[in-house]
Amino acid sequence: MNLTDQRICLWLVPVFGVVLLSAFGVAGVIPPPSPTLTAQEVANFYRDNLGQIRAGMITVNLCGLMFIPFYMVIVVQMQRMAHPSRAFAYSYLSAAASAGSIFLFADLAWSIAAFRPERDPQLIMMLNDLAWMAFISPVGFIMAQNTFLALGIYMDARRQPVFPRWVAHFNILTALLMAPGAFALMFREGPLAWDGSLAFGLHLGTYAVYIAVMFFVVRSALNHQAREAGAAA
Amino acid sequence: MTQLRRNVKLDQLICWWSIPIFYQFFGLIFGYLTKIMGPPIPGPNLTLEGITAFTLGNARHMQIGIVLLAISLGFASMGTGVIVVQMRRMSGPGPVLAYCYLACGAAAALPGCLFCGLLFAVSVFRPDRDPQIIAVLYEMGFVGFIGCLGCFATQYLVFALAIFLDRRAIFPKWLGYMTLWNLVTELIAAPVWIFRSGPYAWNGLISFYLGVLIFVVWIVCLITWLKKAIKNQPLEEFDPACTGTLLV
Repeated sequence: MNLTDQRICLWLVPVFGVVLLSAFGVAGVIPPPSPTLTAQEVANFYRDNLGQIRAGMITVNLCGLMFIPFYMVIVVQMQRMAHPSRAFAYSYLSAAASAGSIFLFADLAWSIAAFRPERDPQLIMMLNDLAWMAFISPVGFIMAQNTFLALGIYMDARRQPVFPRWVAHFNILTALLMAPGAFALMFREGPLAWDGSLAFGLHLGTYAVYIAVMFFVVRSALNHQAREAGAAA
Repeated sequence: MTQLRRNVKLDQLICWWSIPIFYQFFGLIFGYLTKIMGPPIPGPNLTLEGITAFTLGNARHMQIGIVLLAISLGFASMGTGVIVVQMRRMSGPGPVLAYCYLACGAAAALPGCLFCGLLFAVSVFRPDRDPQIIAVLYEMGFVGFIGCLGCFATQYLVFALAIFLDRRAIFPKWLGYMTLWNLVTELIAAPVWIFRSGPYAWNGLISFYLGVLIFVVWIVCLITWLKKAIKNQPLEEFDPACTGTLLV
């Protein structure tokens, strides 16, 4: 069996992980501007960093869905599991696709705010708020994906499971650690604000660690699939 | 190997349970916490004062509701997942209609639900925001929510078609006709983009209340007959290599 397609999808992760991280850094999203800024300060932020914000946000716009191939490798691996049905795999696919559209929606709001920085500062702030909330708070989708994958692993009846059992625990744990992000739409300051230690730091830090660990987990599942296919041939 | 009790339908049943649980959340979020689906729901002709009073007067509950939505909405895809599994069992339609159902479900999350939540979250985030901006967010939120037609119309259409074409009668034919009625609710909601008062406004008797009534009847039937479809799925259908789920 040829696994080149899945391997290519997997290796998009480190490439676009670096691209997206740099794009966010360039755009001034990391570290995030505080939600306590006044409308004028937000407008100044856009005006003073216009070139960087546009460059970063156009890059995110182009590359924001480049993790979808990785998620689809996970869907394929979930279909390899010994399950009576593909219910979790389909659920995972759907949640990943929804999450992608929401991520790009946040990018659009940032980009629109940067499109006409001389606009009424109140409107810039509104678009900036919308972008940050769409970016930080819809954690339910990645939480759902992790939960479906974990359930899939727990129920995998293969003698040699596709993913080891600890990966399921790891998915549940990371899902819980990302949950505080949802509260960013409620708080303008403190750890649960969109620049806070929990809603931003813990949430996105966990996501970064999650993707890095899952890269190796999926890589070893692919190696295993290749060995299995070789043995069967 | 010791004899273990297995339930080969456990994954589907978990997904099935998510549907009634999600709609409990949905009712709690939109009916009680955010008051977006009231009743009574505020209409397009509200004054600026009325809009700020509705939006900001209920700010804390609204925020709690939208936090819950941001966490729970992702799990709604489990319902899609199990329906797709049952649609793929059908004989007659190939997998194409099942995949259509899956794609529409994935597409609907943002325009059909979260968009509205995010807009209201933005409008209550800063109580000192210009009332004109709050009014725009209010209108975008409501008319976008009630007036989001296409994802669901397509989903209902392919679901009804699949039921009609299915020779195995996984779902009863009348559920197909009911699904077409659900499609009609999207048609009668279309005028919310034009009317600002009366039965075809976004809070109107026909466009909103009749639509919600038909939807509620439909979703109850779907939940009930989906459970029956899973229950009636013969055990021979399960691949012996996929030994099923260990319960113990």
